[in-house]
Amino acid sequence: MRKTHLSCLALLSAITLASPAFAAGAADSLKAGKAELRSAGRLAFGPDGVLFVGDSLGASIVALDTGDTTPAAQAAAIDMTGIDGKVAGLLGTTADKILINAIAVNPISKNAYISVSRGRGPDATPVIVRTAAGGKLEMLSLDNIKNARVSLPNTVAGEGNADQRKRMDAITDIAFTNGKVVVAGLSNEEFSSNLRMISYPFTSAERGASAEIFHGSHGGFETNSPIRTFMTYKINGEDVVLAAYTCTPLVVFKSADLKPGNKVKGKTIAELGAGNRPLDMFAYKKNGADYILMNNSSRGVMKISAAKLESYPAITKPTDITGVPYETVKSLNGIEHIVALDDTHALALVKTSAGQDLKSVALP
Amino acid sequence: MICLKPLLRCLFIAVALQLGAAAIAAEPASVSLEGGAFKVTGWTPPILPPTGGWESILTVHAGRGDVPALLGAYALEAGALVFRPSYPITAGVQYRVALHVPGAPAVEKIIDGPRRDTTPVAHVVSVYPSGDVWPSNQLRLYINFSTAMSRNEVAGHLHILDETGKKLEGVDTVLLPGQELWDPTFQRLTLTFDPGRIKRGLTSNQTVGPPIEEGKTYTLVIDREWPDARGVPMTERFQKVFRGGPAERRTPDPANWTLSPPKPGTSAPLVVTFPTPMNYPLLQRMLEIDSVLGRVDGKIEIAAGETQWRFTPDLPWKAGNYRLIADARLEDRAGNRINQPFDIDVFEKVTKRIETPTVARPFTIK
Repeated sequence: MRKTHLSCLALLSAITLASPAFAAGAADSLKAGKAELRSAGRLAFGPDGVLFVGDSLGASIVALDTGDTTPAAQAAAIDMTGIDGKVAGLLGTTADKILINAIAVNPISKNAYISVSRGRGPDATPVIVRTAAGGKLEMLSLDNIKNARVSLPNTVAGEGNADQRKRMDAITDIAFTNGKVVVAGLSNEEFSSNLRMISYPFTSAERGASAEIFHGSHGGFETNSPIRTFMTYKINGEDVVLAAYTCTPLVVFKSADLKPGNKVKGKTIAELGAGNRPLDMFAYKKNGADYILMNNSSRGVMKISAAKLESYPAITKPTDITGVPYETVKSLNGIEHIVALDDTHALALVKTSAGQDLKSVALP
Repeated sequence: MICLKPLLRCLFIAVALQLGAAAIAAEPASVSLEGGAFKVTGWTPPILPPTGGWESILTVHAGRGDVPALLGAYALEAGALVFRPSYPITAGVQYRVALHVPGAPAVEKIIDGPRRDTTPVAHVVSVYPSGDVWPSNQLRLYINFSTAMSRNEVAGHLHILDETGKKLEGVDTVLLPGQELWDPTFQRLTLTFDPGRIKRGLTSNQTVGPPIEEGKTYTLVIDREWPDARGVPMTERFQKVFRGGPAERRTPDPANWTLSPPKPGTSAPLVVTFPTPMNYPLLQRMLEIDSVLGRVDGKIEIAAGETQWRFTPDLPWKAGNYRLIADARLEDRAGNRINQPFDIDVFEKVTKRIETPTVARPFTIK
C-alpha cells in the first residue's frame, strides 16, 4: 500500500517537474466560445493539441484547443493535388478567391492544419482547415471552441487621422518554447525588429515583453534588420533562437538574453545570399546527424548542417555566401511552405502551374 | 353542444392542402437558391434523413473542378429540404447542384451565385517617395490605392523597368521578392528594397551594387490587371519615372531643420523644412507640438516631396514658447533614424548615438 502511494507520488512529481505550467493540461485555461480572429496567419502548436494562430489584422495571438490529442507515431502520407481548390470548394468559393497563409502539423496526431483567408481583401474571413482520417479535409469550427486571445501592444495605432492608423505589424513567425509563445513581427512603417515573448497560459496583465534585435556586424556595420523566420534550438545544451533575416544571414541569440527591453546582438554564423526572403525553418535528424531545413523565396530549400554550430566564428567581414555549410535540395522546387511532419517526412505546400499541392515529402 | 363550424373549416383547409401538395408533387423535383440557401422543391422529404444522410439526396459544389462539396447544414424547413452553406454564397461563382430524390431521375444543374459588380473603381492615388530622384539606398516604397485591394499580387503586377524598358527580374530584382506589407484597410502597400544590396559590408552590395544606381532612370509600373478586393481590375495602369540619386547615409538632425513660426492670433501653419526628404508615414505620427499647457492639437500636412511638415493648430496660435518634439525613431527615406543610421559604423563611438526617446526643438510664437 505504501509502495503504491510512493509510486503515485513519484509519478505526480515527475509530471510536475517535467511540465510545471501544464500539470493540469495546457487547454484548461481556455474558455469555450467564439474565437475572435480577424485573420489567420502563421501557426504553431503548443502542448496538448493547443494551436497558436498569428492574427496580424487583429494584432493578437489566439490559442485554440483543437481537441486533436490522439497520438500517432507516424503520419499518414498526404498527397492533395489542388489543395487550394479543395479548400475553396469546402468554403463555397473558388481558388482565386482564397489564400492559403500557413501550414502546421500537430506533433501529437500528425494531422496537418492550414490557415486560410476566404477572400483576398481586408474583409476576408479567417478559416482553419485540417486533414482528417481518410484523406479528408475538415474545418476547425471557430464559433464554439475553447480559446484565449492576447493582444500585441503598439501594433495598430488606434487614434489620429486615417494616415496615422495605417501602421501594422505583420506577424512573420511564431513558435512555442519553454512555456512561452515567441512572436516575430515586421512593421509596415519603421524598419525595426523585436521578438516578443508571451507567457502561456495568457494573462490579461501580460502582453509580452520584447527585446530589440541586432544581428552581428557585416563588414564594419551592423543593422537592426527585421527577423523573418526563426526556430528555437539547443546548442551545447543551451537554449538559443536561430533567426533568419531578409538579407539573408543566419543568426544565433541566446534565449537567456531575450529579456524585456534588452538590446540583443546576435552572432551571424552564415550568410546565405541576398535577393531572397527566408520563409520557414525547422530542425531534424537524419542518419544520426543534425540538420536544419530552411525554405526561401528565391534560393530554394536549403539543407543546413547543424553539427557543431557553436564552433562557427561570428562573420564580421564582407562576405557573400559563407559560414555554416549547406546544400540546396534540388528535388524540392516551388515550395511555398514546409514544416516537419514526423521523423522521416516534411509537409510541403507546393506551387504548381495549376495551383497549389499539399504533400508529404521525405526529409532530405 | 359541439360547434361544427371550426371542424368543417379545418377539414376544408386539410383537403385544400392535400390538393396543393399533390399539385407540387406533380412537378419534377428541383433545387433553387433562396436567401443564400439551396432549397429542394417538388419533393416531400421524410421526417428523418435516409441511411446515407441528407447528403445522399443533395450536394452542392462550387466551380467546376474536382473539389469537395460545400460545408453546411441540412434542415427541414416548411416541409422542404434546405441546405445552408457554412459560408455565404460568393458573387460570380457558379454552383453545381446534384439532386438524387428516391424514385426520380437524378438532377444536375448549375446555379449562378449573385452577379458580381465588375465596374472598375480602383486606381493608384499616390506613391511615396513622391519625388523624382530616389537615393540609391532608398529603403521603402509606399503605394496608396483608392480602394481596398487583393493581396498576393505584387509578383505578377508590379514591375520596375530599366532605361531600356526591360523588367528587372531574378538577380536584378531590386525589391524584396514577394514581401507585401499592407495597412489594415489594404489600401496602402509597403514594399522594401533588397536590404542585402543596401547594407554596406555585404558582398552583394559591393558586387551587384545598390538596388537603385545613381544617375540611372527607372520606371515603376503597376498593371491595370491588379484586382481590387472584389477581384475587379483597376481603372488604369500606373507608372512613375524616377532617377537614382546619391546614397543618404547621415542621420536626420533636428538641429538642421528650419522652423518658420507663424504670428500669434493666426491659424497659419508652422512649417518645418528638412534638408532631405523624410519617411512619409512616420512624419504623420512621430512629430508633435507642445507647450507648457501640453500637447497642441492640429492637422498635419506633408509637402514639397516630404521635405516639409506643416502643422495647422485647431485653435489660433497664442504668443509663447513651444517645442517641436521629434520621436528619435523618425527615419528618412533610407531608414536612417534620428538616433541611429541605417547601418552603424561599429568603429564609431557609441556615444555619438542619441539614446533619448525624443528630441525637442524649442520655438517661440511672437
